[in-house]
Amino acid sequence: MEFSVQPDRTDHRIAWLAALAITIHIAESALPNPLPGVKPGLANVVTIAVLCLYGWRMAAWVSLLRVLVGSLLLGTFLSPTFVLSLAGALASITTLGAASALSAHLLPGRGLGPAGYSLLAAMAHIAGQFYSAYWLFIPHAALFTLLPVLMTLAVILGLINGIITRTMLQRLSPSSPS
Amino acid sequence: MTRADVVVLVLALALLPLLYVKFWHHGAAGEQVRIRVDGKPWKVVSLAHDRRVTVPGALGDSVLEIKDGAVRFIASPCASKFCIHSGWLHDGGAFTACLPNRVSIEVIGARVRYDAINF
Repeated sequence: MEFSVQPDRTDHRIAWLAALAITIHIAESALPNPLPGVKPGLANVVTIAVLCLYGWRMAAWVSLLRVLVGSLLLGTFLSPTFVLSLAGALASITTLGAASALSAHLLPGRGLGPAGYSLLAAMAHIAGQFYSAYWLFIPHAALFTLLPVLMTLAVILGLINGIITRTMLQRLSPSSPS
Repeated sequence: MTRADVVVLVLALALLPLLYVKFWHHGAAGEQVRIRVDGKPWKVVSLAHDRRVTVPGALGDSVLEIKDGAVRFIASPCASKFCIHSGWLHDGGAFTACLPNRVSIEVIGARVRYDAINF
């Protein structure tokens, strides 16, 4: 018996969007970091846009593929950086899944927009990374002194990314969700 | 920005000061500092009064300064001065040492903030 798996339109779409996210991720990694472990996270603009346009499943695929392939291309696959990155991505995807489900059920039509999703995803991402770093690499109580600073940056950058996403979605189609 | 977005933003902004208060606030003030030389307890000094303590170690004398309920190394005969760079120790459980000089200090307080410290 012969099975053949044909990639369908959804697969192509995921691949295309993941490639876009990966490109942004790689380009951004060329920028210098003022603070270790914090980046603007512009690739998340793609993740949130995909969430708003195509739903959570596609966003989860794009996000995980971006983390995986990005780490392969940057040479950090299976390194501690990768573990932290993956932990953050899993935390933010889970949060986005819960948020989009709640938003769809409790507030149909007037739920969270890109800015809210981006904010939640950024905070979940930083929290996931921080706690992974705390449990796996630096189990020192004084690490928590960093958490307020990291969370402040997550809120600021998450909001900026959310505004970028919203502007992008509005330009893509005037009738799309704001 | 939908109303739900604004709610999320307000909640996030409300969370931030709570984090600063919780994690940047010094724990229960230490009451005494236990000074060990060669691993053996040498003296327990109260942090209530400002003073300097000279501790004889393997390489020479380390000087501790006690001020405002906190303690720090201010002079030590070691090469790298990690002990001095540890800075002020306020909270119960806080610990630092001058390893070349074999002097260590640990703050004892009513409530312990750190139960173990790894470097």
